[in-house]
Amino acid sequence: MSTLATPETSRPVGLARLSFANRQALSGYLLVLPALLLLLGLVAYPFFFAITISFTDRVVGEAGHWVGLKNFRYLFNQPSFIKTVTNTIVLVVVADIAKLCIGLGLAVLLNQAVPGRGLMRAVVLLPWAMPGFIAFLVWKLLFTPIGGGLNLILTDTGIYTGIIDWLGQKSTALPAVIIATVWRGFPFWAISFLAALQGVPQELYEAAKIDGATAWQRFRHITLPSIRPVILIVTLMSSIWTANSFENVWIMTQGGPSDATMVFPVLAYFGMQTQRLGEAAAVSVAMIPALLILVFFVTWLIKDDD
Amino acid sequence: MSDRSSRLTQSRLSRRQMLGGIAGGVAAGGLLPGILQAKSAPALIQSGGKLTFWGGLIFSDEANKMLTDTVNAWGKANGVQTDVVMINQNETNQKVSAAVESGTMPDALDMGLDLLLLLSASKQLTPVDDLYDKIGAAQGGWHESVDASLAPAKFGGSRNGIPFGAGGNVLFGRKDILDEAGITAMPKTWQELSDDAAKAQKPGVFGMGFALSNVGDGNLQVSVLQSYGGRIADDAGKKCMIKSAQTKTYMEWVKAAWDKKLFPPGATTWDGAGDNTAYLSGQAIFIANTGSVTIKAQEDDPDLAKSTIYSALPAGPVMQVSPIGPNVRAIPKSTKDVARAKALIEHLTQPDFLKEYYKVAIYGPVLKDQDDFEAFNTPVLGGLRDLVLHDTPPGAPDVYNTAYADFSANFVVPKMIQRMVVDGLSIDDAIDEAQKQGDAIYAKYA
Amino acid sequence: MESIESRTTLPATFERGWSRARRKPKLRKLGSLVGVYVIMLIVAAIVIFPIYWMFTISLKLPREIYRLPSLVPQAPTLDNYRELIEKKHFLVNIRNSLIVASSVTVVSLLVSSFAAYSIVRFRYRFRGLIGRVILLTYLTPSSLLFIPLSIIVARLHLGNSLFGLIVLYLTFSIPLSTWLLSGYFRSVPPDLEEQAMVDGTSQLGALFRILLPLSLPGLAAVGIFTFTGAWNELLFALIFITSEDKRTVPIGLQYLITGDVLLWGPIMAGAVLAALPVMVLYFLAQRFMVQGVTAGSVKG
Repeated sequence: MSTLATPETSRPVGLARLSFANRQALSGYLLVLPALLLLLGLVAYPFFFAITISFTDRVVGEAGHWVGLKNFRYLFNQPSFIKTVTNTIVLVVVADIAKLCIGLGLAVLLNQAVPGRGLMRAVVLLPWAMPGFIAFLVWKLLFTPIGGGLNLILTDTGIYTGIIDWLGQKSTALPAVIIATVWRGFPFWAISFLAALQGVPQELYEAAKIDGATAWQRFRHITLPSIRPVILIVTLMSSIWTANSFENVWIMTQGGPSDATMVFPVLAYFGMQTQRLGEAAAVSVAMIPALLILVFFVTWLIKDDD
Repeated sequence: MSDRSSRLTQSRLSRRQMLGGIAGGVAAGGLLPGILQAKSAPALIQSGGKLTFWGGLIFSDEANKMLTDTVNAWGKANGVQTDVVMINQNETNQKVSAAVESGTMPDALDMGLDLLLLLSASKQLTPVDDLYDKIGAAQGGWHESVDASLAPAKFGGSRNGIPFGAGGNVLFGRKDILDEAGITAMPKTWQELSDDAAKAQKPGVFGMGFALSNVGDGNLQVSVLQSYGGRIADDAGKKCMIKSAQTKTYMEWVKAAWDKKLFPPGATTWDGAGDNTAYLSGQAIFIANTGSVTIKAQEDDPDLAKSTIYSALPAGPVMQVSPIGPNVRAIPKSTKDVARAKALIEHLTQPDFLKEYYKVAIYGPVLKDQDDFEAFNTPVLGGLRDLVLHDTPPGAPDVYNTAYADFSANFVVPKMIQRMVVDGLSIDDAIDEAQKQGDAIYAKYA
Repeated sequence: MESIESRTTLPATFERGWSRARRKPKLRKLGSLVGVYVIMLIVAAIVIFPIYWMFTISLKLPREIYRLPSLVPQAPTLDNYRELIEKKHFLVNIRNSLIVASSVTVVSLLVSSFAAYSIVRFRYRFRGLIGRVILLTYLTPSSLLFIPLSIIVARLHLGNSLFGLIVLYLTFSIPLSTWLLSGYFRSVPPDLEEQAMVDGTSQLGALFRILLPLSLPGLAAVGIFTFTGAWNELLFALIFITSEDKRTVPIGLQYLITGDVLLWGPIMAGAVLAALPVMVLYFLAQRFMVQGVTAGSVKG
């Protein structure tokens, strides 16, 4: 039918397409506008405002003057700075890997038709369901050397009867913070992956089964590629969260002992305590290039998919 | 000058905001039209007969309620609509920063000395010298230590707050455990304290429940360091002087105590409640506390409260350092009706009110006439009164200025100790590092 | 090619496959089922232990919390819950958080669906850039924003109001929701919408009648994230809410840490109560997630 109509209707169709394209563009802009305006006004604008603050000696109540890179020089010369950088990277990378493995594994598990998975899905969500600072207070209690839950388990079961100062010694402080961070954060990954898995057509698996693909092959060649964009976005979002998260470290260790858990947001908080907005802003701004690289890398990977 | 300049920058700011690209224009202008005006009723806009007061929330429900009720009763009697909000002290700094920047400060508010210092430096407060003198004259005069803490020289030449209570640390000791070890008196020096602690300590109970972490309690170690003759800065308060033989002696004392395991595990990362929790858990023999532990113990664990004895903080080889921290009520620059705010603050210094209030609060007296209030007959509050009489203003023997406050807020001294006991740095290296950080901090204010 | 081969040898493989399928898969299935349960039990234990600990503390009086730490409460009591609700007016906090979180969820899902729909299904200039800007806004540390935001919030008279909090929380939730939703929208084939539009449905109609119902699992997941995010947010709430009657759940709990005293019992009781609405929401949302899958399979 279409081949028959081609000669006569080609011009009108072209015109219609053009106006359709225009109409489409207009509708497209209109639909994205509310989100865009809100974010430009309440995030992008204050964000650039904050960046300019980091180049001034602004304190609370006084606009301050342009001081160039002075705040950054002060920051880079602080004894805590190198540790802050490495701790933040270790925290983000290790926590991400752990959350990826646990989240993906659980999602695949919970996507199977096993009895009791409904209950399990609800259980998995529990850490996410309470305010973050409460979760970290609980972990602080668990890590308490005397009378804390972890040491009680160890002594009650006779595994180890000494006192382990989980948060107070260098070797265990950062791992302890990471454990609590992963515990609090993995539900987001598991539930995101689970929702994504439900979008993978079941027929693909059936077909692969018929072709004799092993479970691993099915996972590798069907599951992973299908949910790859979600994995990338979740990794990105969660990395940003973890890098910006303040409550975990602040509540459990305040960056101690001896900067073993010092991260950027806590360092910025110390700056805020003296109301030196320029210095505090510089701490947060110093982290942005790293986040930008991460964002561009991930969006590039996603674009690669399309 | 700075008043004008800050107003100038305010207007420049708003223009920049309006012109700051579409985003700013949209945000400030028409992003959320109509609804906003209709829906939101900002509580902080001062109109007609309304007065907003941010009180400092403390760990005593009774005291908080008494303060709120008194302000509201005053409002009723004077035809002023009062809006009292009790603000958690842990949040005051951030809330005030945001409120100053956005012009939404209350008409009067409670704050500690550090915030008073910062807000005075940025000229955010209304001078209240007249009221300060009037109240002092009416009630026997201000205590010398309180008066010295607020010396106009440090606050831009004026009195910018009216003190309403002095905080400070009292030494708590477990009488039952000390008795068992045959120790009958509370230690007079820090060396005695660590010796007693070592002697009385037993499994699961640690002698010295002092925080070595990055929280306010950790800065108690600054006072101990000073009592050993160490100093943070020179007499002018301009140059960091932490590196000294005296500081080294102090660090040796800490190291010895640490090696004898006198500090409870976790002390290097305790939060502000760490010493409270350790003491209430029966895990600490000595702690230094403002008095909240007493309230809590009396409520929850009367046996513990009964077996607690109190004394002033011990002295070091050079002197005794136990600074007071006056809490003040101040009036922001933005307040429209200053006279009314002053009237409220003056009303809140009435002996009739404070006589009852001090009984349930955790403050020492600030005015001489308050000394024989019944409230100060208890060991803890009496201890706080003794502290006030002892005449150690904040920071002394160092100069309490913005650099000192920055030094404290970055917990340089607790971190110096952590470097030594956690990272195993030598005493000299730890001190060198602290000196370097101190130099950087003091250089900012030179 | 493989399929042809298997088809040609179908009878033989069928015979063998059948007999094998009768035995081996069953055994394997049983084995893997046990494996699944073992893993699930381990995960559940790790997830639940801290929550169990929280729960036991919410049932203990201070003396027991401090002096007799134990894995099982010795003298359980509901006093902490009573104190929280009667003395600290925690139900007011819960009401405020419910208002804020549910409003944010509804508005955010709507606005983000529009934005994601636009980015995924429409062609126009700067589409890629706009998508990236939306994502980039997510990058900003809220600790960096709070001073500039407090100025804007004051200008817009949004301070100390739940409405203001709702607007602020949208800035967290929209980037996340838009990105997650565009992922889900992409996985839905456009044929059905195109068919509907040929049949005369408007673009918005196609979104609401075809795309959104097909994306229910995604919407449910995104809705949960948005709700919990808004339910649990502390920093902005602390800074922008002042009045006692407007405090949300996290502020209410934060105020149980007064100066240097932590009220462990009431805090943990509050945490238990705070987790409940999110759990209820999750159970509700889970139904939609299942429905969404069914809708998708009907189409197939």
